[in-house]
Amino acid sequence: MNRAAFAEFAGRFSESWVAVASLVVTVLFLACALFAPWLSPTNPYDLARLQLIDALKPMGSPQVKPGEEIRANFALTQGQLIPEANDTDFEVEACGANCFIVGLADSSAQLMSLQLRGLPRDAIVDGASKHPIQPWWTLNAPENNQARVRFENLPADARVEAIARTDNQPTGFIFQLGSDAFGRDMLSAILYGIRISVFVGVAAAGSAMLFGTGLGLLAAWRGGAIDAMIMRAVDFTLSFPAILVGLAILAILGSGVEKVILAVVLVQWCYYARTARSLALSELNKEYIEAARGMRLPAWRIMLRHVLPNCLPQIIVLFTLNIASAISLESSLSFLGVGLPLTQPSLGMLIANGYEYIFSQKYWISFGPGIVLLIMIVAMNLLGDRLRDLNNPRFES
Amino acid sequence: MQVVQTVFQADEVSRVFEPARGTIEKLTDRLTGKRPAIVQAVDRVSLSLAQGETLGIVGESGCGKSTLARMITGILPVSGGTRRFRGEDYESFLARRRDALKVQMVFQDPMSSLNGRLKVGEIIGEGAVVHGIVPRSRMREHAAKMLERVGLAADSIDRYPHQFSGGQRQRIGIARALAVEPELLVCDEAVAALDVSVQAQIINLLMDIRQESGLSMIFISHDLGLIRHLCDRVAVMYLGRVVELAKTSELFGNPVHPYTQMLLAGMPRISTERRTFMPIKGEIPSPLNPPSGCHFHPRCDRATDHCRISRPDLREKGPSHLHACLNA
Repeated sequence: MNRAAFAEFAGRFSESWVAVASLVVTVLFLACALFAPWLSPTNPYDLARLQLIDALKPMGSPQVKPGEEIRANFALTQGQLIPEANDTDFEVEACGANCFIVGLADSSAQLMSLQLRGLPRDAIVDGASKHPIQPWWTLNAPENNQARVRFENLPADARVEAIARTDNQPTGFIFQLGSDAFGRDMLSAILYGIRISVFVGVAAAGSAMLFGTGLGLLAAWRGGAIDAMIMRAVDFTLSFPAILVGLAILAILGSGVEKVILAVVLVQWCYYARTARSLALSELNKEYIEAARGMRLPAWRIMLRHVLPNCLPQIIVLFTLNIASAISLESSLSFLGVGLPLTQPSLGMLIANGYEYIFSQKYWISFGPGIVLLIMIVAMNLLGDRLRDLNNPRFES
Repeated sequence: MQVVQTVFQADEVSRVFEPARGTIEKLTDRLTGKRPAIVQAVDRVSLSLAQGETLGIVGESGCGKSTLARMITGILPVSGGTRRFRGEDYESFLARRRDALKVQMVFQDPMSSLNGRLKVGEIIGEGAVVHGIVPRSRMREHAAKMLERVGLAADSIDRYPHQFSGGQRQRIGIARALAVEPELLVCDEAVAALDVSVQAQIINLLMDIRQESGLSMIFISHDLGLIRHLCDRVAVMYLGRVVELAKTSELFGNPVHPYTQMLLAGMPRISTERRTFMPIKGEIPSPLNPPSGCHFHPRCDRATDHCRISRPDLREKGPSHLHACLNA
């Protein structure tokens, strides 16, 4: 298409604000798909970073770093309290006779508690409460993360254990759209889900376009028995609901990205085959094809260089519409549990994951992906509709 | 005496069109023994064309002119009969694709005969490049040369067909045909879709080209004036058959077949003051169900019972004047 024709096309396209909006939304989604690894705050595929403590958090909740325990053993020998095994987490200072200060070496984070175990019964830990039975002294929120231990009589030999506990701490990261049952950030999961869905949609619709258009052109070119066979195969495929064909294929092959793509291709190729055949048949009747025959061009060249480019606009419109339907088919299959693997959730699978929590008021798991999928498919359909209208010569607005 | 070389010869070529039938319809037809209705578009036509000669073919719409043109160029296969190019049968002639380029065609509709997705340079140069007449690197140059030859600016090669007027597009179509160095040019109603002033330009262009390169031409038209102006010999077709074939002066001066006579009587002339023309009475019969015997008998004044029964073959009346009337 040359520049003037494109400018005219763009002008007619932008007459409808709905079309422009849907184009903007579609481009945004494509950008999300392309740049998900840079846009998303976390990597939802990194299973090692998931923690159960973050599971099912509502929208806007902070991510939590769970509390830790730091343990160290000390030996009390010859009036000295010495960390065993060169433990460096704790430091011990003397504070006069029979007095020691046990503290955490790294005092940046405030401890929730510091517990000392195994002291003699007459030992005193300042500010600490003793366990009613066990010889455990617990100091809550210790000042400077230190505990002062005083002994009435210094025992000759004792083993002391120190346990420092830190509290659950917000990491500063906020689950803007909540988290799912695995503690996955829904925003990241949605961005990666868009990526997977768009990839599967484009790859599947693209493969179906290549395959179907090829068969359609073959049918139009050869005619006769080959035409009849291809077109009856199209009728056969069209006589089953898409979701049923997809389910059957995935039930046989098992789940996986390439299998979902194959399923979508087997569902969608017939639309392209039918469209390409009818377009090619009408093009083959035009005089420029006779002129190409008169030029003794090989048949493949006539089909690919003369017929195909003249059929392409309508096929591309069909492609735009079919991306949306491929995405929704993939989402449906994933929702039904036969689509993509659990570790790489698409939007459909995210919706399915949230489905079991939706009645326990944890709506956000299904809600986000659902809205995103809805907007994406509506935008792509509106875009495709507009392109189709513009391609229709009878369309005059 | 100079030996005149025959460029093209058609011997009783016929073309039958069958309606497109699906597999199931074909099967039921075969089972019930029903024969589908067929159209005999061209019925045993014999023609020959000498080197440098221009043959005109005239006839009403639907008489098979265009089908005959497409069989001559090899775009359509024949249903019967043989075609020869310089004595060689078309089967082997068309199989050698590069040689087959020697027969080229100029089409009727300048809007649909150019592929709108290709640039003009590509449209003109493609055939020559594909068949190795010109290397790809010189395609633009070659196309530009052809454009200049047909009177268009050389820089048109980078434009698209829709940027040209009908006459310019027809020139592009002629340039495309010339680009592969043809020896026989078939012009199928090449000017019918153009304005009269543009028609004259295209006709002059074709005559110039004919003079320059000694092309043999077959010029198909329903415009008798054009035919008379351009052609050495004329074939008159009616419903798939040639009814009269003679030198132009002979045919226009002394028409034998009643159909030719009626056609010529309907032709406007500047010299006469006539305000009305006599149309040929009756409608052209459906080629699906052509009249028996002589196809023209339902519209002919001189028709006899004999005309209704037997098919007239071409017969001679004087030197190189053939006609197919039983009563002439």
